Amino acid sequence: MTKKRTGVFVCHCGTNIAATVDVSRLAKEMAGEETVAFSRDYVYMCSDPGQNSVIEAIKENNLDSVVVTCCSPNLHEKTFRDNAARAGISGFTCEIANIREQCSWVHKNRDEATAKAIKISRSAVRRVARNQSLEPIAVPVTRRVMVIGGGIAGIQASLDIANAGLEVVLVEKLATIGGHMLQLSETFPTLDCSQCILSPKMVEVSRHPKITLMTYSEVQEVSGAVGNFRVKILQKPTYVDPEACKLCDECTVVCPVVVPNEHDLGLTSRRAIHIPFAQAIPASYTLDEDSCLGLNPIRCGKCKDVCEAGAINYDMLPKTVVEDVGAIVVATGFDLYPQEKILEYGAGNVEDVLDGLQFERLCSASGATKGHVLRPSDQKEPKDVVFIQCVGSRDPAQHCAYCSKICCMYTAKHARLYKHHVPDGRAYVFYIDIRSGGKGYEEFVQRAMEEDETVYLRGRVSKLYRKDGKVRVLGTDTLTGQNVEIDADMVVLALAMQPSKGTEEAAKVLKIGRDKDGFLAEAHPKLKPVESVTGGIYLAGCAQGPKDIPETVSQASAAAAKVIGLLSSDTLNHAPTVARVRRSHCTGCEMCVTACPYKAIRLENGKAVVNEVLCEGCGSCTATCLRAAIEVKNVTQLQVFDMIEACLTV
Amino acid sequence: MINIQDIRDTARDLLAKGEVRAVIGWRAGSRGMAVEPVVITAPEQADELVWDPTCYHNLALHLVEDRKFLAHARKTAGAPIGIIAKGCDARAIVVLMQENYFKREDVYIIGVSCEGSGVIAEWKVARQLDGAVPTAAAFAGDEFAFATAAGEKRLPAREVMADRCLECRNPFPKEHNVALGEDKTGRALDAPFAALARFETRSEGERWEFWQRQFERCIRCFACRSVCPMCYCEECVVDSINIAVAPETTAEEKANRIRWIERSAVKSENITYHMTRAIHLAGRCVDCGECERVCPVNIPLRLLNNKMEREARERFGYEPGASIGGPSLVASFRDDDPGAFIR
Amino acid sequence: MNAAKPMSAANPMSEQQAYEPKIVAFLCKWCSSAGSDLAGVSRIQYPANATPITVPCSGSMSPMYILSAFNKGADGVLVSGCHIGDCHYMEGNFLARRKIHLVKELLQFIGVEENRFRMSWVSAAEGAKYAQVVKDFVEDLRPLGPQEKLKAQRT
Repeated sequence: MTKKRTGVFVCHCGTNIAATVDVSRLAKEMAGEETVAFSRDYVYMCSDPGQNSVIEAIKENNLDSVVVTCCSPNLHEKTFRDNAARAGISGFTCEIANIREQCSWVHKNRDEATAKAIKISRSAVRRVARNQSLEPIAVPVTRRVMVIGGGIAGIQASLDIANAGLEVVLVEKLATIGGHMLQLSETFPTLDCSQCILSPKMVEVSRHPKITLMTYSEVQEVSGAVGNFRVKILQKPTYVDPEACKLCDECTVVCPVVVPNEHDLGLTSRRAIHIPFAQAIPASYTLDEDSCLGLNPIRCGKCKDVCEAGAINYDMLPKTVVEDVGAIVVATGFDLYPQEKILEYGAGNVEDVLDGLQFERLCSASGATKGHVLRPSDQKEPKDVVFIQCVGSRDPAQHCAYCSKICCMYTAKHARLYKHHVPDGRAYVFYIDIRSGGKGYEEFVQRAMEEDETVYLRGRVSKLYRKDGKVRVLGTDTLTGQNVEIDADMVVLALAMQPSKGTEEAAKVLKIGRDKDGFLAEAHPKLKPVESVTGGIYLAGCAQGPKDIPETVSQASAAAAKVIGLLSSDTLNHAPTVARVRRSHCTGCEMCVTACPYKAIRLENGKAVVNEVLCEGCGSCTATCLRAAIEVKNVTQLQVFDMIEACLTV
Repeated sequence: MINIQDIRDTARDLLAKGEVRAVIGWRAGSRGMAVEPVVITAPEQADELVWDPTCYHNLALHLVEDRKFLAHARKTAGAPIGIIAKGCDARAIVVLMQENYFKREDVYIIGVSCEGSGVIAEWKVARQLDGAVPTAAAFAGDEFAFATAAGEKRLPAREVMADRCLECRNPFPKEHNVALGEDKTGRALDAPFAALARFETRSEGERWEFWQRQFERCIRCFACRSVCPMCYCEECVVDSINIAVAPETTAEEKANRIRWIERSAVKSENITYHMTRAIHLAGRCVDCGECERVCPVNIPLRLLNNKMEREARERFGYEPGASIGGPSLVASFRDDDPGAFIR
Repeated sequence: MNAAKPMSAANPMSEQQAYEPKIVAFLCKWCSSAGSDLAGVSRIQYPANATPITVPCSGSMSPMYILSAFNKGADGVLVSGCHIGDCHYMEGNFLARRKIHLVKELLQFIGVEENRFRMSWVSAAEGAKYAQVVKDFVEDLRPLGPQEKLKAQRT
């Protein structure tokens, strides 16, 4: 190995450094170092003349590495590295010695500060002496994107990404996109009709030239890494050709099978062959294999007989599709906490006790009761409706510890909608707190209380049960100190939001982490809310945590922006200061594999192998390995050893 | 009480059927009563195998040696290798498997239980026999029976068993293919880490005085490292002059090896060596006690390793050698790991 | 060693007054080094005894670095990283917490003074805290005098 020829450039930073540190002495001391071939001080190294002088010095003195002793690397490391590259040497052979923020600005005594500056600079010189001339790792990327989940988050992300010119494959489990937002009647705080604001986006997705829509499909397997994922998707057969289907509805008339309609949350029923709802995208019927009497052999066949368009095909097979994409957005949404788990409130067995989504279906014009609020038990109009907030949320002892964020708002909305439908009815809300932080939210809740005369009771409901055709609700009002008993016609429970089943499945297949409540784990709770820990996989919507529609749409666009940035060129530039294995020392014990926060190390033929694209160079592996068989380039153990020695040499 | 024939029959059987290619065990030694480790490869040799209170060696060491030999000779193992393992040894084997040094199916563990009486510490026996030279030793319930020129001498096991046996919580080989002898797990004659607790009553100054003396005496013979099955690294991190040069070792690596410590056996360098070894064994040491037994200058090495093991157990809920599939101590963490010491 | 005698003109131990402990401070790049930078930006003054070495993550701190620092004559060693839950590399500081605990226990066990080795969590926003950590460390180290127990006696 030829000896390094390092150039040391000592910056005065005007008087910021020079007033306290003897910069010319520092330059002289560095000149005495074995690997230093050139050492000089200058008033402003980051300035144009300063940087040019570095380039000149590199060329004239045949330098192969540079140490700039100046301000914090956070400010100008990139500047000086790019500068070194312009002079023809690797940017990674340029290191910064911070003698300003960590020295001249915090000490007054000139001798002490100079002595410390010498140690810091010597430390950098010794380190650079063993720096490799690394170049950024260029990873070619596939400039296509997969979005998993076709609710509002997935739809928004898909549109943003497709509008930026990237191809999108949108995979949705159900036969239609739209998600839970499609089941809503109106949305807070404007009481816009949910379908009216969602439908145009759904249509845009279906018509967008850059979006391939795969409904009734599920992701089975994912391999590869950021920039290059290979995804296997199972497309289930709908047994109906979407191009041919005319939506005439003749098939449902003859289908003998009747099952609960999932879209109406069991409040209505559907046939085995059905369309989830009238404006489904794709606009086509679907034959649900699980409830059909039998396709192989064909037990019934009536739907096919009546289909004039000839759209029904019992011979459709499941298809496995393989897609290569550079990034994945996971927007698999939420489910409501199961009512069955709330034993105090009837465990789902008390009639006329509904969850929020069911209430939405009652209010919705396309729903079970054509928009009239009627009791499921006897189809009569309820005159007393009790709404209970925080059912299952904020309950660390028995259910979910967290707050589900949207319930205060949608309960106020439900109360208002109920009062708009049944003006002479009485609405009661049992609450612990009111969380109405968004724009127009607080005013909305106040209007529920004042204009729509909803009675807000600050207290919890201990129990409810059926009595004489009504639901007796036993609660308390802590502000008056009285217990409250209401014989309600209907009760609506604001159940907690939990991660959907699809979220759990997606996390397993993608191998991305989930937090303690099962929501997808973000890479950093404050600074990286839409990135998963795994490079190239982004999160959006309620799969990451409870949130309302404006936040969901924001997150979806944020995830889209990250994806667009990631795939903005044909290659990804990844920092080359990654881990490297010394195979002769590696015994394949896998401690580094376990320790790596990025799962960037795997065992191959009994030795550790680093995926340089996933490795972030944190060094956890280095510290864990008992044999120094793995270390991070340009921060090797030997380099740290030299730095320690330099710090302790007087 | 284990019948020695059972051990011999098991070994003979396995070798005859070709289920194992060798069996690591003990046979009568050439020096007084002590046995010596042996690797037998033929069924007839099974008659040599013995089992008595002098079987203190951790035979897992020979598993490591076997693997190294095969690797350097570039041979493949073929059939599994058999090993007679006490409770402590079996845990060592589990740690080696946890670290992928062996696959479970490559080792056939013939577990033998010391049935709670442990194995001897030779110096304790010598002290009790008061000059009489023992020529053989045998298990005898709660006692050991020593054959001497003056006839048989029986000593209570408790008085002459090794210190680590007094504190042992795992006298039965939990991981095994076949196990001989009774499971007397749960009997503890001393509390675990009793010797450590006694040591820690000393003040900081007293502790330093004690350890300073020990480390000054150390001659850096590395016997402790050589006898430890867990010290299987090709190149010891603190002894990098013994660099393992493989075809893939680059010139740069050869030039860039670190000299963390100097070779001279002086106190400061010895301390760094022993502390590094203790930390590297944290969560891996099963307290077989061999390092302390073989130290030619009688450094109480168990204290160092026990300190780490007690921290592992009490602070991190970690037991070395408990499960082949578990993560290592230092590559994992818990949310409630102690952190009060951090400012 | 006992607590330092009060500094006064009458104090004959002029070597003790002149003794400045040498500290090696391993700072993680993302939090603690940034916190140290903030102390600089805020012009908070603190003693010059601690020479910083920036490492990528507290999780990259091999126990060998700490032992080596003492072996080379450091009077005190500081390791500083991101607060639990805030590690830039997600889990590095959790791993560090365990290893450093073991190193600390072992050092104390063999009789090295407890005050010579410490760990802190300093975030990028805690410039004042970093300065205080160094100040406290220097004050706690002064009465202990130069570190001789682990220092290599090399010429």
